Amino acid sequence: MKKLIVMAIAVLSFATLSAQEIGKDQHLAKLPAVDIQTIDGKMFNTADIQNDGKPVIVSLWATWCKPCIAELMAIADEYEDWVEETGVKLYAVSIDDAKTSARVAPFVNGRGWEYTVLLDVNSDFKRAMNVNDVPFMCILNGKGEIVWQHTSYAPGSENEVYEIIKGLVK
Amino acid sequence: MVPLFGQHQFGNSRISGDFGFNGMYYIPDSLIGAEKVDSKVRANAFLNLLYSNGGFSAGVRYEYYQFPLLDFEKIDYKGQGIKYFFADYKNDFIQVTAGNFYEQFGNGLTLRAYEDRQLGVDNSLLGARVKVTPYRGIYLKGVWGMERLNFESYLGRRDYVRGVDGEIMLGELVPKIQDAGFTANIGASFVSKFEKSEESINYILYDSLENATMFRIPSDKIPSNVATWATRLSFGYKGFRLDGEFAQKMQDPNVTNEFLYRKGNSLFLSATYSMKGFGVAASFIRADNMDFRCQRWESTNNLLSINNIPAINRQYTYQVLANYSYASQPNSQIGAQLQVNYQIPKKSKIGGKYGTDLTFNFSRFHNIQQTPVAEAVRYGSMMGTDGYTSGFFTFGPELLYQDIGLEISRRFTKQWKLILAYNYITYNLELLQGHPGILKGHFVGADLQWKINNKHSLRLEAQHLYAKEDKGSWIYGMLEYAISPRWFISVGDQYNYGNPDPHKRLHYYNVAGAFVWNTTRIALNFGKTMEGILCIGGVCRAVPASYGAGLSITTSF
Repeated sequence: MKKLIVMAIAVLSFATLSAQEIGKDQHLAKLPAVDIQTIDGKMFNTADIQNDGKPVIVSLWATWCKPCIAELMAIADEYEDWVEETGVKLYAVSIDDAKTSARVAPFVNGRGWEYTVLLDVNSDFKRAMNVNDVPFMCILNGKGEIVWQHTSYAPGSENEVYEIIKGLVK
Repeated sequence: MVPLFGQHQFGNSRISGDFGFNGMYYIPDSLIGAEKVDSKVRANAFLNLLYSNGGFSAGVRYEYYQFPLLDFEKIDYKGQGIKYFFADYKNDFIQVTAGNFYEQFGNGLTLRAYEDRQLGVDNSLLGARVKVTPYRGIYLKGVWGMERLNFESYLGRRDYVRGVDGEIMLGELVPKIQDAGFTANIGASFVSKFEKSEESINYILYDSLENATMFRIPSDKIPSNVATWATRLSFGYKGFRLDGEFAQKMQDPNVTNEFLYRKGNSLFLSATYSMKGFGVAASFIRADNMDFRCQRWESTNNLLSINNIPAINRQYTYQVLANYSYASQPNSQIGAQLQVNYQIPKKSKIGGKYGTDLTFNFSRFHNIQQTPVAEAVRYGSMMGTDGYTSGFFTFGPELLYQDIGLEISRRFTKQWKLILAYNYITYNLELLQGHPGILKGHFVGADLQWKINNKHSLRLEAQHLYAKEDKGSWIYGMLEYAISPRWFISVGDQYNYGNPDPHKRLHYYNVAGAFVWNTTRIALNFGKTMEGILCIGGVCRAVPASYGAGLSITTSF
């Protein structure tokens, strides 16, 4: 139990440290550079996730995760409008492993999603992003900096995502 | 307004991490089989820290599982300490990792070192890994390491794994191929394990209490090195994609295959086609004697597994089906899976304003056909012999699992959405769970969502499994109320009303609440839980059979 308390304190102090402003050199973090794959089997480095100075949404999801699908479907209904108004681009990074990764493309196309879909079959990107559970979503500003991160999905939380993106292009 | 929350970096340095705590107060309940336990309060906790600076990164994980949740206790995932740490350097040409790492070659038929924290699986390798890209389109990997065994020490271990893998992406190598819209990749891997051989293997086989036969394999007949190798290929053009991998394994007498000397093999094929509004995926797997582990006496779950033969069936998170999900059989399975997705177009008469999504699914798995060799017939056991011969594409006599299902998902208005599902499941209880019978179950599920307004929503889940075998029929209902984006509350009950034993017609109720703030999630729950998968507030995880109160906290920073 003692160790657990030490650990909790360590976590808290780290969280505070990372939230504090230390020095001028500090800026918001960017995405880690991890090699994953595109849906048609090409290599893709996650540092290349960008959108010509416009905001980016990155969603970590899986075909077996119901709330992930609910979230991506809710956004799909509005996505056309979002793109028109803000120029945003959504990267849907699937963490499906070899069991189900071949079914990602038919799954996405079958639902008519317009997202850029990537495959993280070895969970390398998930680990580098310190993600515990999916769905996990983050928003990058035009400079590629992470301005917002969120875990889990409740119907309606896509509105918050939209508000943040709108704020970024103002 | 943009909230200035998140990870920061100083110059090029960046520190990030995540933390998870999962605790439970256990109350004994003899009815559902939740036994009295010595420590009533139990918890799993871990902390990950990552540092990165340009091409350099390093990480460490501290785990505290000294008094772990009961299902982790059962699989011996118990202890505390640092069992994962690494340093990594990467540039465009080379990547070098020292310490623990996760890796997969191809589809994982020869090597898959991975983790699934909710299941207590951590097959990371401790050693070194090098990845080289000598030329754009050519990717080479080499690994050497000892696989993690829960919290046990690596000292004194007499086994290790080494492997190489190469992949050529022809489209990247020859831009003309890519320009014409083709992707074509070929790859090959070779993995070998070393395990110091023993003096001899003595194995007693009981025909009956009076009649036991003793088998003995002398030391010089026990291989210290066992190799697997595989070749693979994938090809894509527009919406079409074909993947295939064939793996073979050398003689690997071990406790999971009753110490037989037959070579192993596995074939994995997958073909998909998709266009907007339509997708079809078909896959096939055959695995024959492919359980491949670091130690020949290990047989628990997938402890010390070097490879992973994928279970290619469709996976469900339905509560009442949690007990009947198919588990991959690396030593004997042949089967196929077909999935079709179709969207009835938006703004059409049948599709409705928002379109209607249909998913059809079929899968069927058998054991492989086996004809014992003469020697095995004479001994009455396959041990020490070549075991059997097997027709490559012949399905064996035992059906392991079959699933036929249809799912319809439709949004009626901005407020109302409904998902309906039907499945007919056939599940071999004897070969998959060790108690007699074949379960034939009809499953019906509904998920109704009412988005009251932008902040408030209500979700109703109703499920019914009709079956005569095993525990009989189940009914489940759950109501979840969410205040976006922070609060979730849910109540649910699962009732085994059709249990053949009237005394076991039990309720498993659950009350849960969760609070989410950015990347932090705190959840409380109270109730009785069957072994299976639990989803609250948008996150799913595996849970044990238990009764009590739980607290779970996860965060990343």
